[in-house]
Amino acid sequence: MISNKLRSAVAALALLAALPAAAADLTIGLRAGPDSIDPHWSTLGSQAEALRHIYDTLVDVDDKLQLKPGLAVSWEPIDDTTWEFKLRKGVKFHDGTDFTAEDVKFSIERIPVVTGPMPMTLYTKYVDSVEVVDDYTLRVKTKGIAPALPNDFTRLFVVPSETGMEAGNEEFNSGEKAIGTGPYKFVSWEPKGDLVLEKFDDWWGGDVAWDRVIRKEIPDDAARVAALRSGEVDLINYVPASDYLAMKNDSDLETFVSDSIYILNVQPNVADELPQKVKVDGKEIDENPLQDVRVRKALDLAINRDVLVNVVLEGLGTPANQLMPEGFFGYSDKIGPKEYDVEKGKELLAEAGYPDGFEIDFTCTNNRVPGDAVVCEALAQMWSRLGLKVNAQALNGTVFFPAAARREYSMSMSAWGTLTGEAAYTYGALVHTEDPERGLGNFNRTSYSNPEFDKVFDEGTRTLDAEKRKALYEEASYIAMEDRALIPTVILQTVWAAKDGELSFAPRVDQETRAYEITPAE
Amino acid sequence: MFGYLIQRLAQAVVVVFAMSIIVFVGVYAIGNPIDVLIDPGATQEIRAKLIAQYGLDQPLWRQYLTFLGNVARGDMGTSMVYNIPVVDLVFSRLPATLELVFVSVLIAVGIGIPAGLYAGYRPDSYAAKAIMALSVLGFSVPTFWIGMLLIMTFAVNLGILPSGGRGDVGSVLGIHTSLATLDGWSHVIMPAINLSLFKMGLMIRLTRAGMVEAMRTDYVKFARAQGLTDRQIVFSHVLRNISIPIVTVFGLELGSTLAFAVVTESVFTWPGVGKLIIDSILQLDRPVMVTYLVLVVILFVLINLTVDLVYARLDPRVRLKGGA
Repeated sequence: MISNKLRSAVAALALLAALPAAAADLTIGLRAGPDSIDPHWSTLGSQAEALRHIYDTLVDVDDKLQLKPGLAVSWEPIDDTTWEFKLRKGVKFHDGTDFTAEDVKFSIERIPVVTGPMPMTLYTKYVDSVEVVDDYTLRVKTKGIAPALPNDFTRLFVVPSETGMEAGNEEFNSGEKAIGTGPYKFVSWEPKGDLVLEKFDDWWGGDVAWDRVIRKEIPDDAARVAALRSGEVDLINYVPASDYLAMKNDSDLETFVSDSIYILNVQPNVADELPQKVKVDGKEIDENPLQDVRVRKALDLAINRDVLVNVVLEGLGTPANQLMPEGFFGYSDKIGPKEYDVEKGKELLAEAGYPDGFEIDFTCTNNRVPGDAVVCEALAQMWSRLGLKVNAQALNGTVFFPAAARREYSMSMSAWGTLTGEAAYTYGALVHTEDPERGLGNFNRTSYSNPEFDKVFDEGTRTLDAEKRKALYEEASYIAMEDRALIPTVILQTVWAAKDGELSFAPRVDQETRAYEITPAE
Repeated sequence: MFGYLIQRLAQAVVVVFAMSIIVFVGVYAIGNPIDVLIDPGATQEIRAKLIAQYGLDQPLWRQYLTFLGNVARGDMGTSMVYNIPVVDLVFSRLPATLELVFVSVLIAVGIGIPAGLYAGYRPDSYAAKAIMALSVLGFSVPTFWIGMLLIMTFAVNLGILPSGGRGDVGSVLGIHTSLATLDGWSHVIMPAINLSLFKMGLMIRLTRAGMVEAMRTDYVKFARAQGLTDRQIVFSHVLRNISIPIVTVFGLELGSTLAFAVVTESVFTWPGVGKLIIDSILQLDRPVMVTYLVLVVILFVLINLTVDLVYARLDPRVRLKGGA
């Protein structure tokens, strides 16, 4: 009797151990997951990443964040304030109903009703009204000229119009309303827990490799690595830099490295009066040295980006020369690689009237992206070679961001990711003169204002022709970077890891881990 | 006795109020939760609208009064991150923490007290010395490190236990718990041992110290002279006399384990409340912080009350008075 029990217990344990390896299951250990199953609740990146398994967006993006057809097969402006989208035919929702233009209209109109503190309304802010022409043609009237509307719609998840405006998080989280057109059907989820998905056989995008996908949220870095090593999960994202080398050299494991969209930018405050005064010879001075472009150039010249990448970040980075990675819409080829020349920097400082340097506070985040705190300290040391005394302080993002919004820092550094793959998003928020009415300069924490830049950028936002707009944005990027409005340092890289030879996986620059783009190794 | 309970209750209410005020002032001092949560693409207009929507543009005292008004109607608020009523959110995670703490306390007491008794009873034996050495390790080696070692050994190298997460949940007497399934036990055992080590070390040392002291006292000598066996002496006299410090420390430890099992929960990705509260603090999700901390205060008050009642059972000289 007892031995029988014992035997069945052992058998059960063995079965358990075998489960994750079962043929067409994919279990992924992720640092972060969704906050809700309602696709219109939050703009959080990990939310969009998880939910695009269940719901499709109107416009999709490729692995370099450039636009590609999603539920819409094509789109074009038909006049200055109207975009026309042609929709894909033969698309089914998970409950078997057909996808039509009505569903898109409903989804756009649902967003302002249900969205939360990370509001999806920022993707519909240009929408004035939506007109259904026929089942597969949709016209969107915009408030003013809106060339970036298709970019905004890369986050427009479509739910069936039968969902009803009353349905909220509860109905979605329980699965009752979690119906999309995506490659996977919702099975179950709990906050901070597992998201379980099941293959949808009628997906328009074709057959997907895995019958069942389990996305486990494992925020602790060491625990995520342990879960992979013990075979509990097949793939993990955000391998910590400290484990990367060991994992790379481990023949049981395979690592995948990719540039991310995140760049660590130094933000010199150019306001007339600095919140944290600069000191020369121990005495506070009233003027702001950062207003002088020569000082900003000197700071830039003293940054040894190769050391940042190879030593400080242990190889997991790429030198950055502008605010976006190469290949993004508006990336300027005119900006060459950054030079490192401390002597030239010193000369510039002397020309600007600070031959003996000055003392300045420098504040960074310490938990937002891998390496932010160490890069912060390394920069302070690099600048000390110019003769500056830099008081570096790395703070938790919970403290940093509200204080940055109150303009309490003289010089700071945080990461910015060009989520939409185009310049208007990044330069409009960080570099443009503050203009609340037009929603520009909304994250301009440096009081930077350059009429020459604004003119070129503004013309770009009014240009519907993609090629012309691209040229204008390239010019705007060039102006801002020449003037050192912000000083980009490094593009961060991220690492995934899997058991060796089990998966075929192409990392994406937006760091999303999409189960339907992963296949078993040949 | 009754007066004593009333007094305790009144104290609890005061502490709960103080706690909620501290959270409000604290969050207010850090800054605006919206600036932590907000999407980088949000315009100034959207930001202003959100701040108004969550009442964060109001002066602090008005925000607090609004909160009190809602509590009076039985509404603790809704999480800003999950958009789920906080009470549902906290109680959806609490069972996991409770079962983890329950098992770990069982291990700590079940092994710690007998081991401590033995170490105090035969202080010079090798076994006693080994027990004491282990107890030092128990509360001097950091929990997260032992946790990683356990995972490396049992999950990665031997592959006999899962590296983290909570197992299948079964149902016993209407309670849903992972302790009802074999899979659940295979998941709970490592984190529970990890969590119990500190307490076990503490139990061993306390019990041993009490035991060594008690064995030298007159009443033990008299009991021996009376012809009682050592077993009778230890279990019916000594244990009872050394229980008071053990019960006190046990109560305190139980409370802090329940409230702050967060390190173990992170290492073993245990879906308990500890993880939830840390994330809420990082995101300044104020409704969750307030509710959770109020719950912790109530827990501590209840545990202390129980400890006091147990004192009175253990030592008839202790009287529970209402006035003092």
